[in-house]
Amino acid sequence: MSFFLNRYAIRRPGSAHLWSMLALLLLLASGNAKAIPAYARQTGNACADCHSGAYGGGANGPALTPYGLRFKLNGYTETDGNGFKIPAAMQLVGSHAAPAQGNSTSELTEADLYLAGRVNDNVGGYVKIQAINTGNNTYNTQLSDVDLRFVAKDLKIGGQDATLGVTVNNNPGFDDPVNALPASTQNGPPTVSGTLLNPSSSNTLADRVIGASVYALYAKDWYGEIGTYNSLPTSAQDHLGRNVSGDPGKLSDTGYFRFAYMKDLKKQFYSVGIVGLTTKRQLPRNGPKEDVTDLGYDLTYQFLGTRENILQLSYTNILELRDYATRPASPVVAGLLAPAHGAVHDRTMSATYTFKQSYGIVVSHLVSTGTRDEIRYVPYGDPNTTSNLFSVFWVPFGKDDSFTSLANMKIAATWFRFTKFNGSSMNIFGAPPGAPVTNARDLNEFLISASVAF
Amino acid sequence: MIKLSISQPLRCLTSAVLFLSWMFAPVHVVAGDATAGSDVFKTECSECHSVKQGRNKKGPSLFGIVGRPSGNLPDFNYSDAVRQDHWVWTAEKLHSYLSQPAKQTNPGTKMKYDGLTDPKQLDDLISYLSTIH
Repeated sequence: MSFFLNRYAIRRPGSAHLWSMLALLLLLASGNAKAIPAYARQTGNACADCHSGAYGGGANGPALTPYGLRFKLNGYTETDGNGFKIPAAMQLVGSHAAPAQGNSTSELTEADLYLAGRVNDNVGGYVKIQAINTGNNTYNTQLSDVDLRFVAKDLKIGGQDATLGVTVNNNPGFDDPVNALPASTQNGPPTVSGTLLNPSSSNTLADRVIGASVYALYAKDWYGEIGTYNSLPTSAQDHLGRNVSGDPGKLSDTGYFRFAYMKDLKKQFYSVGIVGLTTKRQLPRNGPKEDVTDLGYDLTYQFLGTRENILQLSYTNILELRDYATRPASPVVAGLLAPAHGAVHDRTMSATYTFKQSYGIVVSHLVSTGTRDEIRYVPYGDPNTTSNLFSVFWVPFGKDDSFTSLANMKIAATWFRFTKFNGSSMNIFGAPPGAPVTNARDLNEFLISASVAF
Repeated sequence: MIKLSISQPLRCLTSAVLFLSWMFAPVHVVAGDATAGSDVFKTECSECHSVKQGRNKKGPSLFGIVGRPSGNLPDFNYSDAVRQDHWVWTAEKLHSYLSQPAKQTNPGTKMKYDGLTDPKQLDDLISYLSTIH
């Protein structure tokens, strides 16, 4: 996902820019598949074994079952042992978007190639290459999320089962096994000033960095991960299809950690986790360094039962502390400088109910707030953005008794609603009297999408 | 006539033994509820096993598992340990195998299962598997 306002450049977004960002947000909310038919072919599993909704992806990420979580932790290497399978899959997403303001569009919005699967018992991965419709049927090809793994399975440490692995990935949190972190669920709050761990933030790290983590699963329940990231050179970002205006800047002394306790009770699953990311960032790259630290926690619960009725709940709360490198002056009040320190806060609460792993509903409440800053957050000094996502979907295939396990399909209807933007529900860009006014609800959008994967 | 007079009591005795054997056979063989066992299968087994004929996942198809010799599906890549087992998956064998961690019963197996300790669920599951053929 992308984002609306650059917190380092004090400006109002153009309407066209804002609408295109919203369209992208909706597109990703509806079509970001994780149920890769290549994995189904490799394992003999149905998509529904790993995903609560048999297609995965969509409005709240892959919605992994505990079995899917373990498949990811095991480096995507598990197999039915029945010969080599080509580790590739395709996805096409078409959609009809109806924004509250502006024209409706119907188009092929995304075409994706997945290179996903095992190399051998210890090496596997996930690579997504996407062609995104940027309007007028022109497509921008980008490298999306990457997660390459080396894993040592079936170890015994202190008499307990253990798994040790290394992941090389380009999106902090994407590799996480639990359905909670924004990069993993693709469901971070839309924001005018979000956290580094939120891919919806401006100058996001998502898909513009490269990093490696060492991780371990101990006694089936305890998960730990420690790693580091560095941003890709702007030339590399450009070659990978990313606009350099979204450069996350130069990063140094970057550390990432993640710890979680996960309990699989077969009919139920719950997890409690903490996450952290700290870096010194130069944006622009020749500018001074600022310190940015994210600290968060998350809770998830799944009722799985016999898989007839599945309920998944998650709550994620990430606080970002900033020591700004510069203190811009107010253009209005002489001598007033922006604060030297600040904090932003992203929270996502999400519930997904799935019936027969075919019919589902997703409800999310997304909030992004920050400390008051009259200079950085124009026009009201308040970055508060509050939104909701409602999505219903139907997945006809992808189960054990489906007539094919080689292809899958999903039809979804998604409504994205804003109740607050820039700290206000009315006149969110502070238009002067007589000028056209944009209210938060004018950012709302309704979208119907059809996705096929094979 | 003499033959008959000897064989008749023998036949009666045999019938009686079989009847008593059936009467006092381990309860788990007959006491399960297959419908409830279907739900147990979905919760405990279905991620790694299918009951569809010819459909192997990480584990082999369980179609016709009760009474089947171990390691005999031609298109499944069994572990060496299972290939060398040479046992038959009778209801009793399944009951014993599934009631404890798989690697405890058969250390070389690829199967990762901690065992089903609830005896009723185990009976239900085996009854359900007995219907799959």
